[in-house]
Amino acid sequence: MTRSGYTFIAPLLLLMFAAFNAPLLYMLGMGFWSKGGGFTIEHYAALADAPVYLRVLAGTVRVSLVSTIANVALGYPLAYWMRGLGPKGQLVAVALVITPFWISVLVRTYAWIVVLGNAGVVNSSLLWLGVIDTPIAFLYNEVGVTIGMANVLLPFLVLPLFAAMLRIDNRLLQAAASLGAPPRTIFWKVFFPLTVPALGAGALMVFILSLGFYVTPAILGGNRVTMISNLLDKLINEIPRWEQASALSTLLLIFTFAVFALYRALDRRSAA
Amino acid sequence: MKRRQFNQFAATAAPALAFGLATPASAQVKEIRMIESGGKSGESIDEYIKPFKAATGVNCVRESPNPLGKLRAMVESGKITAATFELGSGSLEQAKKLGLVEPLDWTAIDPKPMFPEARNEYGLGYQYFSTVMAWRKGVKTPANWTDFFNTKDFPGKRVLPDYPNYTIPFVLLAEGVPVDKLFPLDVDRAIAKLLTIKKDIAVLWKAGAQSVQLLKDNEVQYGIAWSGRTTGEPLIDFTFNQGMLDISYFCVPKGTPPAEKALAMKLLHEMTVPENQARAAMIIPYSGCSPQLDALLPKEKIDQFPTAAANKAKQWLQNPGYWLANGEAVGKKWEEFKLNL
Repeated sequence: MTRSGYTFIAPLLLLMFAAFNAPLLYMLGMGFWSKGGGFTIEHYAALADAPVYLRVLAGTVRVSLVSTIANVALGYPLAYWMRGLGPKGQLVAVALVITPFWISVLVRTYAWIVVLGNAGVVNSSLLWLGVIDTPIAFLYNEVGVTIGMANVLLPFLVLPLFAAMLRIDNRLLQAAASLGAPPRTIFWKVFFPLTVPALGAGALMVFILSLGFYVTPAILGGNRVTMISNLLDKLINEIPRWEQASALSTLLLIFTFAVFALYRALDRRSAA
Repeated sequence: MKRRQFNQFAATAAPALAFGLATPASAQVKEIRMIESGGKSGESIDEYIKPFKAATGVNCVRESPNPLGKLRAMVESGKITAATFELGSGSLEQAKKLGLVEPLDWTAIDPKPMFPEARNEYGLGYQYFSTVMAWRKGVKTPANWTDFFNTKDFPGKRVLPDYPNYTIPFVLLAEGVPVDKLFPLDVDRAIAKLLTIKKDIAVLWKAGAQSVQLLKDNEVQYGIAWSGRTTGEPLIDFTFNQGMLDISYFCVPKGTPPAEKALAMKLLHEMTVPENQARAAMIIPYSGCSPQLDALLPKEKIDQFPTAAANKAKQWLQNPGYWLANGEAVGKKWEEFKLNL
């Protein structure tokens, strides 16, 4: 970048540092600070003493993995189907995927209560059809949380994936067909490998966003499903043990960075 | 932008704009701010603000919500943006321990007669609320907590508070522990009992409105809820029997300028006036700290209020001291319980 480029970007960098990085560093520091006592690792030692916090972290990772898998299972076929549509159809489909983005997460989450509740649309239809005798418990468990999170996060996977799929040259697929490959082989040998980097990026994005979910598990999980953010909220606002919250957040941050590093390594290998 | 939103905006923006400038020597205070718990409870506080404004000519602007973390942030940053802050009984003890609140000036408050437990060196108990058992009309009526937690003979889903301090004591009452022997709580025993009925614990609520909504929607049939929420709900019954009486306090954040604190004391005085309490109780059926309040409340509604003589006698008082000493440890056990749920 030229020197004048830096001049232009300096205000933004400064703002980013002051408003984002500096508080983050302060937060990291707080985990190693005891009031009036200077440096300490007691807050991290306390984490080890309370395996329950680490179990919540593990539970968060598990719920995030499940919702990422659900997202991939729903999102990949959707993006693939969208690729096959005509230009107008694609426009409509993209609009439909994006629309939920414009609605508050809170509203969408509450909407699921109307849809999935005991007297909700799904259960009353199934009861009316005679498929079930008693309502299925969709809400206030991990099923509800997974459905809600998949709904909120789907665009983050579908949009980049769809864009990557559009970039795939149709002539590659035609070439494979002209060489006698059946459709299944064309998909798995040619098409799918070309989408893997975008799929990985999208899935990683979904996974990382899942780790920080707060509203959806609180409402659709009925607080029976504790995610790390809900625990942090308790430590920050109720108890308030900021130092402990800081130590826990730092662990979460390290974990997220590790996932990201893993992804970068995989990405580089697939590019090579 | 609504006025209140604007005021909030101004409150945030003004210090930012004044950053770096010397604070002008304390001019005449034209307005003080309070942080309270919001909702109907917040609206009811207007009944104390009105006479305060009439007496002093100073307005008081309400802000919510009131997590303890906000108070800590305010005090530790040295930017006190509210002269008075509402805290639950347990949070008040926490705040005292962390040094976040100032002692009140009870001479300046010059209170009208009040229940002794509402008068704290650091807080004025302005509102009594009850945590009670509630159920959907039409289900088998529980007579006590033993019935409430007996899911075999009283079938139905339960909604419980996601706060161990509002749940665990009731489980122990159900187990037959007498009220005067409740504290120190046998937390492990309570959690073991809860785990035996875990299939029927549908939801743990964080916001008071949730318990009542789930009962109304027939998602659950029995719940622990706050009396002010269940009162007047046509589909819901509840009883004060064996309910827990608790108090919300107003306190003063440490470092509040003396001029503002002095005004806050005048506002707190209005909270001890039984006539003001009676008007506030018409907005939300919780009651104030005056032993003379009963006489001012409408006869036909008297049984709705937590401190009505007949109701107060049936209930027992929360033990904030226990939660100060044990809150964090019990909280960890509670998280563990939720992982096993």
